Amino acid sequence: MSAAAATPVALARARSNIPGLILLAILAIAFPLVPYVLHVSDYVLNICMNSVSYTMAVLGMVVVLGYAGQINLAQAAFFGIGAYAVGLGTVVWGLHFWVSFMLGLGAAAIAGLVLGLTTLRLGGHYLAMITISFQQIFDLVLTNWIDVTKGPDGIPGIEPPALLGFHLTDKRAYLLFCAAVLYLLIWFVWWLPKTRLGRAMRAVRDNELAAETIGVHTLRTKVIAFTISAVLGGIGGSFYAAGFSYISPDNFSFLRSIEFLTAVLLGGAQSPFGAALGTVLIVLLPEWLRFLKSLYLAVYGLGVILIMVFLAEGIWGLLRNTFQRIRKPVAPVIGAVPVLHFEIKAQSDRAVLKLENLQKHFGGLRAVDGIDVEVAAGTVHALIGPNGSGKTTSLNVVNGIYRPTAGRIFLDGIDVTQMKPHERAGLGMGRTFQNIRLFQTMTALENVMVGGQRDNNPMEGGREALVTRALSALDFVGILHRAHMIVRSLPYGHQRLVEIARALAAHPKLLLLDEPGAGLNQTEKQELVGLLKRLRGHGLTLFLIDHDMGVVEKVSDRITVLNFGKKIAEGTPQEVLRHPDVIAAYLGEGPANAAARA
Amino acid sequence: MPLLELRNISSAYGSVEALRGVSLHVDKGEIVTLLGANGAGKSTTLRTISGLIRPTSGEIWFEGQRIDTLAPEQIVRMGISHVPEGRRIFPGLTVRENIMLGSTSRGHLSKQAMVEGVEEMFGIFPDIRRFADALGWTLSGGQQQMLAVARGLMAKPKLLLLDEPSLGLAPVIVQQLFATIREIHTRGTTILLVEQNAHMALSVAARGYVLETGNMTVEGTTSQLMDNDEVRAAYLGGHTA
Amino acid sequence: MEALANNLQVLFQGLALGSIYALVALGFVLIIRATNVVNFAQGDFAMLGGYAMILFTVGMPGNPELHIPGFAMHVPYGVAILLAAVVMAIIGLAFNYGVYYPLRNRSFLPVLISTLGASIFLQNTVLALFNPQPRPLDKLFNIEGVTIGGVFLDSQYLVILVFTILAVAFQYFFFEHTLIGKKLQATSQDKDMARLLGIPVTLMIIITFVYSAVLGGLAGMLVAPILFVSIGMGSTIALKAFAATIIGGFGDVAGAIVGGIIIGVIESFAAYYISVPYKDAYAFLALFLVLLFRPQGIFGEKVSEKA
Repeated sequence: MSAAAATPVALARARSNIPGLILLAILAIAFPLVPYVLHVSDYVLNICMNSVSYTMAVLGMVVVLGYAGQINLAQAAFFGIGAYAVGLGTVVWGLHFWVSFMLGLGAAAIAGLVLGLTTLRLGGHYLAMITISFQQIFDLVLTNWIDVTKGPDGIPGIEPPALLGFHLTDKRAYLLFCAAVLYLLIWFVWWLPKTRLGRAMRAVRDNELAAETIGVHTLRTKVIAFTISAVLGGIGGSFYAAGFSYISPDNFSFLRSIEFLTAVLLGGAQSPFGAALGTVLIVLLPEWLRFLKSLYLAVYGLGVILIMVFLAEGIWGLLRNTFQRIRKPVAPVIGAVPVLHFEIKAQSDRAVLKLENLQKHFGGLRAVDGIDVEVAAGTVHALIGPNGSGKTTSLNVVNGIYRPTAGRIFLDGIDVTQMKPHERAGLGMGRTFQNIRLFQTMTALENVMVGGQRDNNPMEGGREALVTRALSALDFVGILHRAHMIVRSLPYGHQRLVEIARALAAHPKLLLLDEPGAGLNQTEKQELVGLLKRLRGHGLTLFLIDHDMGVVEKVSDRITVLNFGKKIAEGTPQEVLRHPDVIAAYLGEGPANAAARA
Repeated sequence: MPLLELRNISSAYGSVEALRGVSLHVDKGEIVTLLGANGAGKSTTLRTISGLIRPTSGEIWFEGQRIDTLAPEQIVRMGISHVPEGRRIFPGLTVRENIMLGSTSRGHLSKQAMVEGVEEMFGIFPDIRRFADALGWTLSGGQQQMLAVARGLMAKPKLLLLDEPSLGLAPVIVQQLFATIREIHTRGTTILLVEQNAHMALSVAARGYVLETGNMTVEGTTSQLMDNDEVRAAYLGGHTA
Repeated sequence: MEALANNLQVLFQGLALGSIYALVALGFVLIIRATNVVNFAQGDFAMLGGYAMILFTVGMPGNPELHIPGFAMHVPYGVAILLAAVVMAIIGLAFNYGVYYPLRNRSFLPVLISTLGASIFLQNTVLALFNPQPRPLDKLFNIEGVTIGGVFLDSQYLVILVFTILAVAFQYFFFEHTLIGKKLQATSQDKDMARLLGIPVTLMIIITFVYSAVLGGLAGMLVAPILFVSIGMGSTIALKAFAATIIGGFGDVAGAIVGGIIIGVIESFAAYYISVPYKDAYAFLALFLVLLFRPQGIFGEKVSEKA
């Protein structure tokens, strides 16, 4: 692209959807005002209050489940923490509503943090079980710790708060207030996926390993999502308590958690609007299905299964997909993009990557058996060797995916041996994967932006700068025109390029490439060689594994050869490819000879 | 009558690969290769033959019987053994157990027949004998590939489908592997080989087809394919090594 | 001396209860290994086993609201067990076709949620047919038990222990030393590849669900005389079973059994020495601690994933 001076990138506005937005705004404003205009029974007001407070909790589910992909089956417990904080606080302890409210939020946040920190390191099953267990314990405590929680009798007489001296005792006024808070929260949840944190969450959901490797603090991201979910639950519970003036343990049971879950699934976990839709349905269904009498819950359980089978993205997802099929979204126009900037310091004597007696054993298998390698700055260094020689394992150890059994790894002089992958990314270590690991539900641009979000990325400015950087990276690899396409729909070769761009957005000092040519045909491989040479020309240090000798020969300055986990040769391509040990162990005969023997 | 015949097969797999009206045949005793770039539909072709994917249109005939509507379990019992891309050995079972499970389609085997069968496989793939009681996941890529082929052979198939056996393997291992493939062929197994490494593939096969984005574009004997400029440019790249 | 006798008594009870958890956990782990499904309705299989026994030995009260008539039945105990096992097998089949099969290609979350739905469905269907009142069930043998050295060994507890030992032995032999066991393992490690070898994967999975359902049902039948049969008994047992699998090492068969026993023993001692209303909380506390300090559990996961 042109080397024009950096002009602000022309980012397209979100697809224009004015009619829909206006409709939504009208409905939103009308809803809490209707009771002032028409006479509505207390019963209807209660349903509205239910819907509003429940939706707040369900919004929490959108964040933790829809965005971050983590299950939370204790949302009713967090809801209950908020409710009991207000109930106990105002009725029993005589505290001001807003003080109790903040206490409740604090308690919910702490509970969420503790649960999250202990369990989110592990897989989804653990989280499911722990949250259910927490829910059960919460229930036990509420019912049995009668001295504090008043047990099954519950807490009556909770009063709505005062707002700026104005007591909200009129149910309609309280509803209006709660609706306003709800809209605020909906806006927050709607805006979240577009932020750094939101993208990090979606990256974790789509491919946690890749996210961790390119610099996302995956644990921290998951814990934040979970804590946000808990806090939203607590907020909902607090307003619920004041709205219904009486709370008791059976409102905050496991069944309620299931209802929140069902609401977010029925409505659509990816969207706050889906959450609202699903919640309204969940609140109204028991009323509509009253005729089923004692069979209602059994039918409910069946319904959950049916939703999972037939309505994966929820009703909102269904509506949105249908809408998009009717009116195909137009890809935004991309203006001129500045040339990708490489932040490479002047060549120093120090090796960018140094492996010192690196060892990795899997039980008895010595996959990497003591290798020493130094990669000089600004060079392309290849690691080759027969299969089983330890190349991929070495790369995974350098990257931090495996802990070495012994030995040390230095990145530009810093000992990174004990660091997690995202910490190494934060020091400038980038990586691509042999089996492409992109965030499938995100666009190419978003994928690359996540790459640029690593810690200490030497880049000034906020979102605009990040977007510009990402677009420049995509331009550098030649697929700027695909920036706004969901990567799932891109051809294989282009996905490979997106992965490289994602690494480049992070201003890497060192780029680890795991079989970058895998799956490419000859033409694509030639283009790859060209790209790698350009990267070297900019002073980037590359450390790559590949089996295609043509690629390796053309692109490498130095080659290290492994066999059975040990280094057997090292030098320039010319030296190495003539070394008798290497020829014997690795290169074998050329195919021409093989064909002659056929 | 050819052993295997695909007539105008179209099939879809996710949104990436698809086949459009592909026809090919393999005669008894041949090695035929299917070439093409990643995404061309080579793996989809094999998966359609072995029954993992149901074709959307067209017919597949094997030994005079239609098989395109059958389940994979039935197709393997008829004598087609598919060694899929990516090794896919059972990581938590031993090498020996992996090979033993390869005999499933032959029905119940006596203990002696089983032991003999496993021995025969170690004879063809001596490099993995020393791992006989090691768990599959501890083997290297090349060793896993050999195990996968051994497991596929254990079924004593009439037709062996090999999906990119060279992928990710070093040149010397690839040559050993292809020497073994030639040996298997000489012993009487018909082979349909899908490969990206066109050099090696054409060194063992007599005939080949080229797929490009789901369409069959070129077919011919090995020498015809080696002479074809299009094929050479896209796959042989004009480089040695 | 009396203190020792008391402790042994508590230990004995813990072992027996722990065996029940172990049996349910075993069925749970088998389903996970074969299908990767985390079955939150596993405990309800125990509940259903108990109610099946009630149905055959006593009868069903019915539901006038829904026009379902009640009736009495008095099948001999041993026959009732067989019939109940058959009922559980059918339920396992229904579970396979109704819950697992439609979702077999989806990620773990939709499936997990569906099993939650199944749990709600099962509990409330039983609730509609019987009423919420907990019911007693006779012991298998009409003997009180034996007293050895001041420790009273209830006959039902002994039955539970013996059965569990037999079940575990059968389990081990079946999985490690038969070809079908290997085929089940292969199915759980790579389903598509198993199909390509001709392993009847659908059948393997059906076997797994039926076996797990029957195992769970038997556990329920065995513990019913001690705990009473109630709608919610499955949920509580299920959570302990989950905790057991984690403590033992998620996905590990031996771990599930060991974990179950450990939880039973912890619970028994904690209830005796600390307090009874919070009895259910101890298992969860143990779980939290394990997750904090040794999340891979006792036996951990053996197979690693490469990048």
